[in-house]
Amino acid sequence: MFYRFSGSMITVAIAAAVGAVISVSITRTSAQAPALKTPWGEPDLQGIWTYDSDTPLQRSPKYGNQEVFTAEQRERLDRERAALLRRDRRVERGTELDVAGAYNAVFTSQKRTGARTSLIVDPPNGRLPPLTPEAQKMAAAEREFRLALLQATETCKNKSVACNGGKYDPAPSPRFAELPPRYNTGRMNRHDGPEDHSLPDRCLTLGLPEFGAATGSFRRIVQTPGGISIFYDVGQGQGWQRNIVMDGRPHLPASIRQWYGDSRGHWERNTLVIDVTNFSPKTDYQGSRENLHLVERWTRTGPTALEYVVTIEDLTVWTQSWTAKQDFIKLSDQENRLYTEPRCIEGNYGLPGLLRGARLEELAFAQGRGPHPATRDGATDFVGVEDDPLQ
Amino acid sequence: MLDRRSGSMITVAIAAAALGAAITASITQTSGQAPAARPASIGGKPNFSGIWQANNEANWDLQAHAALPAAVTQPGIYSYDYARVPAAPVLALGAAGAVPGSLGVVQGDGQIPYKPEALLIRKANAEHWIDRDPELKCYLPGIPRAMYMPYPFQITQSTNKIHFAYEFSNTARTIHLDKVAGPPDDTWMGHSVGRWDGDTLVVDVTNFNDRTWFDRAGNFHSDALHLVERFSSMSPDIIQYDVTIEDPKVFTRPWRIAMPLYRRVEPNMQLLEFRCNEFVEEFMYGNLRKQPLVKHWEGDTMTIDITRKVPPGDSFYQWYR
Repeated sequence: MFYRFSGSMITVAIAAAVGAVISVSITRTSAQAPALKTPWGEPDLQGIWTYDSDTPLQRSPKYGNQEVFTAEQRERLDRERAALLRRDRRVERGTELDVAGAYNAVFTSQKRTGARTSLIVDPPNGRLPPLTPEAQKMAAAEREFRLALLQATETCKNKSVACNGGKYDPAPSPRFAELPPRYNTGRMNRHDGPEDHSLPDRCLTLGLPEFGAATGSFRRIVQTPGGISIFYDVGQGQGWQRNIVMDGRPHLPASIRQWYGDSRGHWERNTLVIDVTNFSPKTDYQGSRENLHLVERWTRTGPTALEYVVTIEDLTVWTQSWTAKQDFIKLSDQENRLYTEPRCIEGNYGLPGLLRGARLEELAFAQGRGPHPATRDGATDFVGVEDDPLQ
Repeated sequence: MLDRRSGSMITVAIAAAALGAAITASITQTSGQAPAARPASIGGKPNFSGIWQANNEANWDLQAHAALPAAVTQPGIYSYDYARVPAAPVLALGAAGAVPGSLGVVQGDGQIPYKPEALLIRKANAEHWIDRDPELKCYLPGIPRAMYMPYPFQITQSTNKIHFAYEFSNTARTIHLDKVAGPPDDTWMGHSVGRWDGDTLVVDVTNFNDRTWFDRAGNFHSDALHLVERFSSMSPDIIQYDVTIEDPKVFTRPWRIAMPLYRRVEPNMQLLEFRCNEFVEEFMYGNLRKQPLVKHWEGDTMTIDITRKVPPGDSFYQWYR
C-alpha cells in the first residue's frame, strides 16, 4: 500500500515536471538541428524516457478510423477527465468492494489526453485484431474459472461489473479444487499458494511490450559502441532490464525461455530495430505467451522526443499481427528521477499477508467463527475507479 | 569408462569449436566486417564495456578460510568445531553444498576491523545464515557483493553514464559521471557517482540502507556504509577491482578488498535471466500454503527430514560397474 501510494505521488510529480520539458523542446527544435548522434557516430537514444499524456491502447469504436483527435475533441476529453479527479466514486458502503475500490482517480493519476486516439496504428481501426478460435476458447476458459471462484460472493450477489458473465450461487464452486486452465498470471479469488496470485503481486512483473500503466513507465537507455542497455522502471518500483545483443548472432536456442524474451538489435539508418523472441510460457500479454514475437523500432525524433513502434505477432492468439506506436519524452538527466533499484520482493508484505489472511479465514470458518471463505471476495479491486471517457 | 570416453569427446569437440571460432573471428575482423567491434577506449578512457565475472570465493567469505563441509553445520560425533557435519537443510547437496577454501580478498592483515559489538552480530549472522542472508531471499545484493557473486554482469559504458546490469535478480546500477541529484531515500544498491583518475574509474557509493551483506559468512554493514571503488585495466580482459570500505558505525577504521574481474570471452556470451523471486517463493511463503508441499511446517518453522531414496542401480557401489 505504501509503495502504491508513493508510486502515484511520484507519477504526479513527474507529470508536472514534464510540462517544463515540452516547452523547452519546442524552443530548441526551432533553434537549430541538435546533435542526435553519440560521440562514436551511432544514433543517440540515451536518457530517461517516459510519456506525458494518455493514449489508450485501443481506439474507442466511436472514432472509427480517425487516428488523431481534433483540438475540440481533446479539449472536451481533458475537461471531462479533469472532472473525474477526487470524485471518489463509491460502491455500496460497508461492502468488501467499497474497501477494495479505495483507489480513485488520484491514485491512477490521469495525464492530459494525447494527440492520437489509440496506440494501435495498425489495423487502421486502432483495435486489436480478432482472437483466433483457440485463443477465444482459452480466454473463455480463464474467465469461466475466475467467475466460478466468485460465484458465492457479494460481488456476484450485488451484480457488480466484476461478476459480468457470471451468476450468483450461494454454494461455493467445486472448481476451488481445480487448477486454472493454464499457468496463472492474474488475480483470482483464491489464495491457496503463491501461484494463485498475479505476477505483479508476486513481484514477477509483466514484461514486454511495455506501454505503461496507472503508475507510469520510465526507461533509461545507455549506449556503448555496439551495445545498448535499457532499464525499465514500471509498476511501483518493479524494475527490470534488457541488454540488447547487437552483433548479429542468432536468437537463443528455443529451449531457453525468458520473462523478458531474447532481444537482438541492429541499426537501420537512424532506427534501432530489436527482434524479441524466446518468451517464457509464464509470461502473458493479452493472452500471448511463449509464441509472442515483437519487432520494435526505436527512433530519436528530436532533442526530447523518441518514437517507439512495435509490431506484435502471435498467430496462435491474433488472426494477424498488429502495430502500436508510443511517443516518449526525455526527462532531465540531472534530476535523475529514475533509480535502478527494482526492489519489490524486499518489501512484499502483501503476498504473505494475503496467504496468511486466507489461512486465518479458513481456521475461523472451521471453528464456526467466520463465514465460508469462498463467500469472500479477495480478488476484485478498482471497482470504485471512474470510467475514463478516453477508453 | 563410459564417462571417460564422453569426457575426451567433449574435449575434442570444444577444441575444434574453439579453434573454428577463433579462426572465423580473426578473418571477420581482418576483413572489417565485425558488426559491433568494441573500441579500446571511449572518450580517451578505457572501455570497460562487456560481460564480466569474478572468479573467486569472496561471496562465501571475504576473509581467508579453510574449506568447510557446508555453510551451515551441526555437531558431528566429536565436540570439536573442526569435526562438524553439514546441517540437515543442505545435507542432500553433498559436496555441491560445501564451501571452497580461500586466501581471502581483504587487504593488509586480512582482518575486517569490526567494533566488538559488531563482531558479535557478525558471528550470530553466520550461525543464522539461512534465516538472515539476503541472498537466500533473492533480495537486491548491494555493492560490493553484486560485483563478486557467482553470476556474470554487463557493463555498458557511455560518456556520461556507465550502466551495470547484474544477472542475479535483474539487479542494476547506473554510475553517474555527470552531475545528478541523489536519491530521496536510502537504497539497496547505493548511489554511484564516478570520475576518472587518469585511466582508473573511481566510484563513490553512498545512500545505502543496512540490509545488504558482504558475503555468506555474515559480514555486514550499517546505513553509514561508504565505498570508494577503483576500476583499472590490467589487460583488455581483466579489470583490477579495488574497494575501500568505510562504516564508522560498524568498523573501527576503513578497510580494503581487491580482486581481478575477468571478461567472459565466450563468443556467444550474453546475460541470461536469473529471476530468483520465483525460485524462493517456497522457501519464503511455503508455510502459508493451504496444502503445504513441505510436510513439516509448524508455524513458520520448517522441519526437514532428509529422505533420500536411491533408485535401483544408483547406489554408489553399483555406479562403478
